[in-house]
Amino acid sequence: MKRFVIGAGLLALTTVPSLAEVTVDWLHIETVPETVAIMEAAAKEYEAANPDVKVNVQFLENEAFKAKLTTLLQSDAAPDIFYSWGGGVMSDQVEAGVLRPIGNVVSDGARQALGDAGINAFTRDGELYGLAQNVSQVVFWGNRELLDKAGVGPDDMKTWDGFLVSVQKIKDAGITPISIGAQDKWPAHFYWSYLVVRHAGQDAFNAARSGEGDGFAAEPFVKAGEDFLELIALEPFQEGYLAANYGTASGHFGDGKAALHLMGNWDYTVQRSNSASGDGLSQDQLLIVPFPTVDGGSGDDGDTLGGINGWIFHRDAPDEAVKFMEWYSSKDVQSRFAAGNSYIPITQGAADELANPFFKDISNNINQAKWHAIFFDQELGADVGGVVNDVSVELTDNAISAQEAAELVKEAVDDAQ
Amino acid sequence: MTTIGNRPQHLTRPVSPTGPTVSARPERGTDTLKRRFFGNSSVALVLFIPVTLGLFSLLVVMPMIEAASFSFYNWNGFGPMTKFVGLDNYEDVVTHRHFSKAVRNSFLVIAVSLFVQLPLALWAALALTENNWGVNVIRTLFFLPYMLAEVAAGLMWRFVYDGNYGLVPAVGDTLGVSLPFVLGDKFWVMPAIMLVIVWKYFGFHMMIYIAALQAIPKDVIEAARLDGVSRWQITRYIRIPMIRSAILITVFFAIIGALQLFDLIIPLSGGGPSHSSHTIVSFLYQFGITRMKLGFGGAVSVILFIVCVAFTIGYRRFLMSRRWD
Repeated sequence: MKRFVIGAGLLALTTVPSLAEVTVDWLHIETVPETVAIMEAAAKEYEAANPDVKVNVQFLENEAFKAKLTTLLQSDAAPDIFYSWGGGVMSDQVEAGVLRPIGNVVSDGARQALGDAGINAFTRDGELYGLAQNVSQVVFWGNRELLDKAGVGPDDMKTWDGFLVSVQKIKDAGITPISIGAQDKWPAHFYWSYLVVRHAGQDAFNAARSGEGDGFAAEPFVKAGEDFLELIALEPFQEGYLAANYGTASGHFGDGKAALHLMGNWDYTVQRSNSASGDGLSQDQLLIVPFPTVDGGSGDDGDTLGGINGWIFHRDAPDEAVKFMEWYSSKDVQSRFAAGNSYIPITQGAADELANPFFKDISNNINQAKWHAIFFDQELGADVGGVVNDVSVELTDNAISAQEAAELVKEAVDDAQ
Repeated sequence: MTTIGNRPQHLTRPVSPTGPTVSARPERGTDTLKRRFFGNSSVALVLFIPVTLGLFSLLVVMPMIEAASFSFYNWNGFGPMTKFVGLDNYEDVVTHRHFSKAVRNSFLVIAVSLFVQLPLALWAALALTENNWGVNVIRTLFFLPYMLAEVAAGLMWRFVYDGNYGLVPAVGDTLGVSLPFVLGDKFWVMPAIMLVIVWKYFGFHMMIYIAALQAIPKDVIEAARLDGVSRWQITRYIRIPMIRSAILITVFFAIIGALQLFDLIIPLSGGGPSHSSHTIVSFLYQFGITRMKLGFGGAVSVILFIVCVAFTIGYRRFLMSRRWD
C-alpha cells in the first residue's frame, strides 16, 4: 500500500508540469501530403521551443469543413485556429460573435510583415480577427502546343475582343478552346466576376454590394454579362461541360484536350494529378495569360481576382494560439511553403523563395494590383455568392439574359439586407 | 429534420406486407416468461415507454420542432435567432424561380415509380416466385442494387453516363451515333436519373411482392388449375388480388421515397444543369443549407413534412385500412 502511495505521489509529481500545458487545436483543410508535412514539422518545432504549448493538428476535407463549421464553432469541440477565405462568411462569423479579436496579441512587426492587403482582408469594423497566409490569382492557364498550333499567342489575348478572336481561331483549328467545370458552378463565376472587376471596378462593386443606386443591376454589371454571352455564343467549352466538375475539367486540360483553362494558380498541381496519365502538362508546356482587359471599363487593367486566405480564431482561443500563428506567419516559416511550391505566401519576403516562375509572376501581379478582388462567391457570403455562381452557369447555358443575371444578384443583395 | 432523411430509413421499417405472413402466436415458453415478468402491463409500460418516448422526443420530435421554428426567422445558423420574419420564408419558397421545377421533378419521380418501377417489380416477382437456384440467382441480382449505398450507386452511374469515358459514349460509338452528355443535358438528365431510380429500387419492391406471392395458399391456385382456369386468369384474378396489401404498401413507400429523393441526385447531377434536376429535398439542401439560409430551408422542410403527413394519413385511412378478405 505504501509503495502504491509513493508511486501515485511520484506519478502526480511527474504530471504536474503538464497541467500548465496549453493545447491549441489547429484545424486545416490541406490535402497535398508535402504541404501537410511542412505544417506538421512546423507544429513540432514550435512545441519543442515552447514546452508549455501543445499544438494539436486536425484535418477536415474541404467540403466537409464548410458543411460542419457553423455547428462546430458553436460546440465544445470548436478548434482554436481554423482556415478561412475571409469575405462575407467571415463577416457573418464576426457578427455572430464566434470569433476572437486578436489585435491586442499581434505585434506590430507581424502586422507589417503581412502588409495592408493581408491585414485588411481579416479586419472587420477596425478589429483584426485573423492572420493572412497565402494569396492566389485566377489566370488563363494555356497549353503552349495547342495555342501554337492555332497560331495564337498570349499577346493576342490581351483585350476581350482579341480574346474572342483567339477563341474562334483555336476553334477553327479543330481544338477545344476552353475547359470548364460548370457543374461546380464556381469555375464559371470566375468569368462573370472578372468581367465585373474590369467593367465596374472596385468603387462600383462596393457601392453595389451595399445596395446603393441600381446595385448589381447597374450598367457595368449588365455589360459584364453581355461580354460573357459573346464568348458563350462561340461555344468555346468542351462537350458536356455542364456535367463536368472542377476536377474533371482540370484533368481534361491536363490531358491536352483544351487550349485554355481559367483557374487559380493551384491548378498548376491539380491539372497534373487529375490528368489521365497523372503527369499533366509540365512547366515548359504551360503558359499563363492574365484575364483580358475591356474597352472603357472603370476597373484598373492591373486589378486581379483571387483570394487572400488565412487563419482565424475561435472566441475561446487562448493567447498561445495567436502567438503560435504569429510565429507560423513569419518569413522564416512561410519561406518553406514557397520553396516547396505549396502556395504563394503573403508574408513579405517569403515569396522570394518561390521556385515556380508562374507563382512568381502571380505574386508580382497581386502586389502591383490596385484592387485584388476576393472571389465573389466568398466575398459576398454564402447566399449572394451562391446566386452569383448560379447566374454564371445559367449564362453559359443561355438560360438567362445578362440583364436578368444582374437583376438576380441585385435581388439577392436586397433580400440579405 | 426527418424529412431530409432518405429512402432506406423508411424502407427499412419492418413491415408485414400481407396478413398471412405475420407469424401466428408467440410460443408457449415465451408466453410464460412474458406473463411472469410483465403479467402486469403497467409494469411494462413504466419500464419501456419512458426510454422510447424520451429517445423519440429527443431525436425525432425536438429536431422537427426546431426546424419548424427556423422557418419563421431569417437565420444563417450563427448565434441566436433574432430576425423574426413571419411567413416571409414560405412566400420566398413558393415564389422561388426553381421551386416549381423541383416540385415537378418530384412528381415525375412519383409517376415513374408508380407506373414503371412497380409494374416492372410485379412482373419480375410473378416470374420469379418459384424457389430454385436459378431463380434465386436472378432474384439476388435484381435485389443487389438496392443493397448498394445511394452515393456509391450515384457515383457509379455518373461514370456510366460520363460523356468522355463512360459506357454511354462507348455504346454510341458501337452504334455509330454520337450520344449526348446525358447529365449535362437539360432534357436527358431527368430520364437518366429516373433510370437509376428504377434500377436501384425495383428489386426491393419485387422482394415484397415475392414474399406476398409465396404466402398465397397453394391449394387456392391448385383448385383454380383443376377448374381449368388459364395462367393469365390465375394471375389476374387470384394472385394479384391476393397481394393487394403488399401492393398498397409498396405504393406508399414508392411515393414517400420519391418525395424524399436526395442522395442519388447529388452525386449524379448535383441538381444541374442550371437547376433542372432538383427534387424538393435537393432544392432544400442547395438553397437552404449550403446558402446558409436555414429559415428558408426550414420552410421547405415544413412544406414537405405537411405534404408527407397529409398523404400518409389520407392513404392509411382511405386505402390501407380496408381489410382484404
